[in-house]
Amino acid sequence: MRFLYFFCLIFLSACSNVSPWERGTLAKPHMSLELSPLQNSLRFHQYGSREAASGGVEVGGGGCGCY
Amino acid sequence: MAVTKSKSLQLLTAAALALPLTTVFASSDEEASFQYGHYEDGTRNLFGVKSAFKPIQVDSIQSNVKLKLADRVRLAFNYTQDTWSGATPVTTAPLAFAGNRQRLLSPKILSGASPYLNNSNVFVDKNFNPLQQDTKTGKFLSNNQLVHTLSTASPETRKQGDFRVGYDWDEASLDVGAGTSAENDYNSSFGNISGRFDFNKKLTSLNWGASYTQSDTEAYLDHDAFPYIERTTFGSRVDKAGLVTGTKKDWAGSLGITQVLNKSALIEGAVSYTNSTGYMANPYKTTAVLFVDPTQKIGSNGQLSGSMLAFIEQRPEERNQWTENLRFVQHIDTFDAALHLDYRFYHDDWGINAHTISGDWIQPLGDGWSITPRVRYYSQDAADFYVPYLVSKQAASTITFDEDGNIKRTSYNPRLLPQNYSSDYRLSGYGALSGGLTVTKQFAKGLELQAGAEYYTHAGDLKLGGGGEGNYADFDGYLVNASLKVDLAALSVANSVHSEHAHHHSHHHGAGVPAGIMFDHVLPKAGDVMIGYRYMYANQAGATQNGTNVISDAMIVHNGCGAKQCFVTPNEMSMNMHMLDLMYAPTDWLTLMLMPQFMDMHMTMRELDNAPTRPSPLTSLGAAIVHSEHEHTTGGIGDTGMYALFNVVKFENQQINISLGVSAPSGDSDIQLRDTHRQDLGFIHYGMQLGSGTWDFKPAITYTGDFGDFSIGAQLNGTKRLESKNKAGFAFGDIFQATGWGSYSWTNWLATSVRGVYTLQGALNGSYNSVYHQIGPMDYVNSYGGRFVDVGFGVAASMPDGSLQGNRISFEWLQPVHDDVNGYQLPREGALSATWTYMF
Repeated sequence: MRFLYFFCLIFLSACSNVSPWERGTLAKPHMSLELSPLQNSLRFHQYGSREAASGGVEVGGGGCGCY
Repeated sequence: MAVTKSKSLQLLTAAALALPLTTVFASSDEEASFQYGHYEDGTRNLFGVKSAFKPIQVDSIQSNVKLKLADRVRLAFNYTQDTWSGATPVTTAPLAFAGNRQRLLSPKILSGASPYLNNSNVFVDKNFNPLQQDTKTGKFLSNNQLVHTLSTASPETRKQGDFRVGYDWDEASLDVGAGTSAENDYNSSFGNISGRFDFNKKLTSLNWGASYTQSDTEAYLDHDAFPYIERTTFGSRVDKAGLVTGTKKDWAGSLGITQVLNKSALIEGAVSYTNSTGYMANPYKTTAVLFVDPTQKIGSNGQLSGSMLAFIEQRPEERNQWTENLRFVQHIDTFDAALHLDYRFYHDDWGINAHTISGDWIQPLGDGWSITPRVRYYSQDAADFYVPYLVSKQAASTITFDEDGNIKRTSYNPRLLPQNYSSDYRLSGYGALSGGLTVTKQFAKGLELQAGAEYYTHAGDLKLGGGGEGNYADFDGYLVNASLKVDLAALSVANSVHSEHAHHHSHHHGAGVPAGIMFDHVLPKAGDVMIGYRYMYANQAGATQNGTNVISDAMIVHNGCGAKQCFVTPNEMSMNMHMLDLMYAPTDWLTLMLMPQFMDMHMTMRELDNAPTRPSPLTSLGAAIVHSEHEHTTGGIGDTGMYALFNVVKFENQQINISLGVSAPSGDSDIQLRDTHRQDLGFIHYGMQLGSGTWDFKPAITYTGDFGDFSIGAQLNGTKRLESKNKAGFAFGDIFQATGWGSYSWTNWLATSVRGVYTLQGALNGSYNSVYHQIGPMDYVNSYGGRFVDVGFGVAASMPDGSLQGNRISFEWLQPVHDDVNGYQLPREGALSATWTYMF
């Protein structure tokens, strides 16, 4: 079930045909999937210290934040 | 390749084809960034109990440097430091059982809610619902309200350092990283590997990653609650001294696909799995267990009596976690905005399912400004073993008499308790809603400033589908952050245009100025900007001195604490200071400088030989002495310097600058130690405060001269306290410093320096105006300041060309040669200064 994403996305990839010279909008800074990585690391650390469902955002990391 | 395309189209095609889809445009390959963050909980509802504890607050700094080692090789360093202090819930119990017991410190001051986890005289009805006895009528009334018991913590600091090395192919990348995180009671080390494959004309990327983390807990049970905590079910994890040890191992893997949907939208789906084994409980959280003997005779008011005991929480030793992420980004052409929508589903075998939905709208406003409103909703189910408190239908202890008439006490049977239980509200069912706003300003030449704020509210009622935890666990909080990011690659492009300008400043004037010197130069013309980062480490250790003489413990005991006797003396003290150096010239003749600081301090103490007999730890003085066996730590924002610099004399190669400024009291000067053994320890030692607490005047006059490869300089500077005392009742002494140096440039990029420093600092004025305990010389105002002489050895490197042109780094070690201290103090071992500066 959780691999449904992959099948969907691979299916979507067959539909998509964006030429390189049409990717100017995708190249804009605010279209990046990783917005403000520094701010996000702070936010996710705070969520992680307050919520049970941690992880899944990025690989690795450490520290307890047991407060 | 098509040969019919125009040259510009070819260039655009090449650039677009080179774009990987993830982690690209927001971050450059070469950048330096610095961030400060502050999180603070709101006040918890204790249902009528007034708490004097401050809610938990966390100050964080992060610095990050990314460099390109070669054309395709990337290197990144991160450093993170968090310092937190304040109160958090340690357990939950019925309000009727009075888990938060108030205590009068003095007729006027009410100490907050010290944890009182055990109560051998509680009442329930025949269905085991809590009863509260009316003190006037004696009647029992049903009261099902729950309440957290809070405990406060002295400041603690976590430091994390990690690095990552990456290699880029045309259509793939590989990153390998490792790091370590250290705090008093929890250390973890981790390694990770991740990669990306691009295919389908770079419209699709496959992302993967794997990591391993090992975390070791070594924590003493809560000092305040230690005498009450039941450990019988905890086995060998805890020793007689209350030290809890355990190891946790996490293996994690992730797999994701990023897909361009059309020319203005992309989507990413990812799954991840984490297997954790080992000790995963929080050693500071306990579960209240209500013992009621069901065979007892029901009281006249229908009540059953029972006992409440506190047990260290117990969690399963294995956890399997799965997450599924979906991220979607859509460009909104009408507004040139980007909408980011994220959804995450989380599931683990502790019984927790969680949903997270968030949305960000990034709106560029022109002129480099952008604004991002954000909303996030989170909801989780409770863990299978979560309970606010446990009811065990057996007596806590039974007294019987043997054949000889001796009393025989039989304790509860721990096997009748569940194997795992936790009252940690983070494992309960609830929802959390947060909203925030981020403002970003992108300056020319690659400088970006950002400020953000987010409000967070946690409530049982917000749980998806209802059925969340009661309102006693509700709380809110806010997070603010400010960051500065420099795109080093963009700077180098700007430099190549203005290379003559950068060349001049990186090579000649100030090439060898020692790293420990500030205020030595002004910016040459209106509109110039300089940014820098300064780090300073200072350490004190060795044999305690009085004046210039090393003295015996007996002398300290009898003379170091005024009319009283000393019990302990400092063993080692260290300080780390991180400073941002921001300079701007509004006119040709004036340079403004802003210097925020972030610092942390550490201190260990030792018991003095021939110290007097310790008072009982159940007295506040005795508890303060016991607490001195642990390292004391503080950390957070320090004072903020604001200066105006002028050039008053200038010849061809020589100049004199004057700096006039103030230091604003942004650092805390009233930090207190946590309660221990139910005793209020009051203020921490004076020297551990992060700020002066007073507005301070800080003038400096500096001479610099350049003579070929030799340079010389001299500076007089001072600190004059503008107030006689801060809000805690004292003021640090004034400071006068004289220094002179000489430097030699060995090449066009490397210079070394030697300097001498004389420092005169006064003792403290006033004294703490509330509870504090004088256990050693560091608690006396006359054991601060003195007369000091140092010799400094420095090295400085300026990048004359290449992609890092215009950057300057310098280091200096200050070696003490003469310490003439006021009162009784540790001698200084030395101080390290490191700086990085860049002028636009």
